[in-house]
Amino acid sequence: MRKLLVAVAAAALALTACGSGDTSSGGTATITFWDNNGGPARQPIYEELIKRFEAANPDIKVEYVGIPSASVQQKYDTAIVGGETPDVGGVTTSYLAHLVGQDALAPLDDRISGGPLKDKLLPSLVETVRQTAPDNKLYIVPSSANMDLIWYRTDWFKDAGLEPPKTWDEFITAATKLTDTAANKYGYTIRGGAGSVFQLITEAYAYSGVDSFFKDGKSTLNDKANAELVDKVADLYKKATPEADVNNSFTQMIAQFTGGSVAMMHHNLGSYGDVTKALGDKVAAIPLPVGPSGKRTVVPNPTDGFAVFKNSENPDAAWKFAEFLTSAESNSYWNEKVGQIPANTDVRSEAWIESNAHVKMALGVLEDPATVLVPAPVYLPQYSSITKTDSEPQYQKVLLGELTGQQFLDEMAKKLTEAQKEWEDRK
Amino acid sequence: MTETLIRPPVDTPPPPRPPTKRRRRAVAEEPGKRWLIHLPLVVYLLFTLIPFYWMLVFAVRPTGSTQLVPWPITFEHFDTVWNDIGFGIFFYNSVVMGLGVLVFVTVLSVMGGYALARFKFRGQKVFLLAMLCTQFIPGAMMLIPLFVIFKSAGLLNSITGLIIAEVAFQLPLSLILMSGFIRNISVELEEAAMVDGCSRLRAFFAVTLPQLKPALVAVGSFAFIGAWNQFLFALMFASRQDKFTLPVGLSYALGEFNTDFGALAAGGVVAAVPVVLVFAVVQRFLVQGLSAGAVKG
Repeated sequence: MRKLLVAVAAAALALTACGSGDTSSGGTATITFWDNNGGPARQPIYEELIKRFEAANPDIKVEYVGIPSASVQQKYDTAIVGGETPDVGGVTTSYLAHLVGQDALAPLDDRISGGPLKDKLLPSLVETVRQTAPDNKLYIVPSSANMDLIWYRTDWFKDAGLEPPKTWDEFITAATKLTDTAANKYGYTIRGGAGSVFQLITEAYAYSGVDSFFKDGKSTLNDKANAELVDKVADLYKKATPEADVNNSFTQMIAQFTGGSVAMMHHNLGSYGDVTKALGDKVAAIPLPVGPSGKRTVVPNPTDGFAVFKNSENPDAAWKFAEFLTSAESNSYWNEKVGQIPANTDVRSEAWIESNAHVKMALGVLEDPATVLVPAPVYLPQYSSITKTDSEPQYQKVLLGELTGQQFLDEMAKKLTEAQKEWEDRK
Repeated sequence: MTETLIRPPVDTPPPPRPPTKRRRRAVAEEPGKRWLIHLPLVVYLLFTLIPFYWMLVFAVRPTGSTQLVPWPITFEHFDTVWNDIGFGIFFYNSVVMGLGVLVFVTVLSVMGGYALARFKFRGQKVFLLAMLCTQFIPGAMMLIPLFVIFKSAGLLNSITGLIIAEVAFQLPLSLILMSGFIRNISVELEEAAMVDGCSRLRAFFAVTLPQLKPALVAVGSFAFIGAWNQFLFALMFASRQDKFTLPVGLSYALGEFNTDFGALAAGGVVAAVPVVLVFAVVQRFLVQGLSAGAVKG
């Protein structure tokens, strides 16, 4: 009987023993790359690029690790504390300040200006990245930009004899006209759940034309025109949108849109794959409408880029890979597959941009000298808690008619002003 | 030579059949009252099964389709999940981890549970209390300390490390459960065997262990399912794609800007099948095990 016990334990050990086996290759450097949006959509793109990189640099081996996007920040945090960071990692400006604050990243200014990427990166993206770090250094090399836009059903618009809206008033008319609640058809879908306020802010500034987030240290978020827009959108709730919208995160929103019950949806370039896969050529994109001022103001989305981690044992090899990923050829390949705006300016002459209507449209908006960028203060440590945790439930109250747009924005603006002051004082 | 001395296990008279049969018949005889039992059960069953139906529907219908009864069915999502996301490796890792946790948790909890149930030792109450207290600490809080320890022990990026972490977290509760099960088996049976010449170990194996079968199944299946669903440690302690487990693979279907519902549902089916099978096989024991356990009036 004792033997049996030993045998069971031994079997269990044997079962688990197949776990270890770290081999260090001699002669070649191995670097680790973390993809911050791992999954079946991105992995093949990176695998192809890594293959090309290894062919050009036989002495460097790249190990790809896809991190699920919902957990990437926690994964980075744990890795930083444990000293197990990768050599290169995909990082967006939405948590860049957080990583810089933990002193995990190496500044890349000298490397960028000393190599082929000098003057080849879209200035608006470089500026966004700089503004995210307290010392205005470049801690990621920007690779790709996303932009908020409105996806709409071309077939519904055609059937109703409507033109895609250019102003918010046209937008609201269209949303109302395209709604037929009896047939379960709605003109618009509001993001009322997770992530709602970020989208609402971009809508508000697009409408108001207010051209900076802070004026004299005070948040402009509660500008009267911004509040007007919030009320206008809230007015559409239930009249031109499904009732369930009050809890919508982007997954539900996209499911409604691709499911064919909604005519227009405010999201960003990132849903390109989903909407075209489901709706084919019955869908197209327009920029967020403009307000009465006619000015086009854009609150930019987080910028994607690649960071080199301070802990890297092969910082030169790591940079070589980050630089390769941002080179015109790789950057073009990546953004064409993903359907986003390439950061490398050499890519703009590529043929795919001409045939890719929504990317061309987004690039056109960013390139237009009349467009004013209003970057949100994502560098504030409290930014996410103020705009998400504190404000998202409040926005639901606005939708349900328990709070006015002005009250809602006043509250948020007050907190942002305080946070900005704190940040300025610490600088 | 002791073989001959062993009497057939002291017979516990089969428990008197609970009078359920008659009672059931009594209800059945009054057809008017039957729905009182059936209706809530049907409602509850629908409530439980609809999400599963939803998952199946999404897994086998093409992207963009909104049919409620999917036809024709497609297996493209399973192809995505198995070949593009690499569920093959994740599945293997999950099975190894699940079985490892199952074996260790069950064996260790039997050993510890026996000691707690059969012996009085100094500090027993404190020990039990400490075991219970460990259950107050959420895994996320232990994440970084564990990470640092595992790093210095060279246990990152290995299934062994995951098994150790998971066993450590699951053991306290299993131990307490198991000691309750063992306490319910009368010590006299073992003593009788020992009077007949068995050692304590032998008495345990010959008399107590066979009666613990439902308990082993209950504790073992909980351990397996707990390990099977472990996400946080599986993601944090591994930084190599080939060391991830199923829950991590599942979360790949949730992108930053897009959600592949088809892949998510197909992955859910793949991940759920073993658990459903395990339950189908052991549910008979499980019900017994739960009712025979520590919580008895």
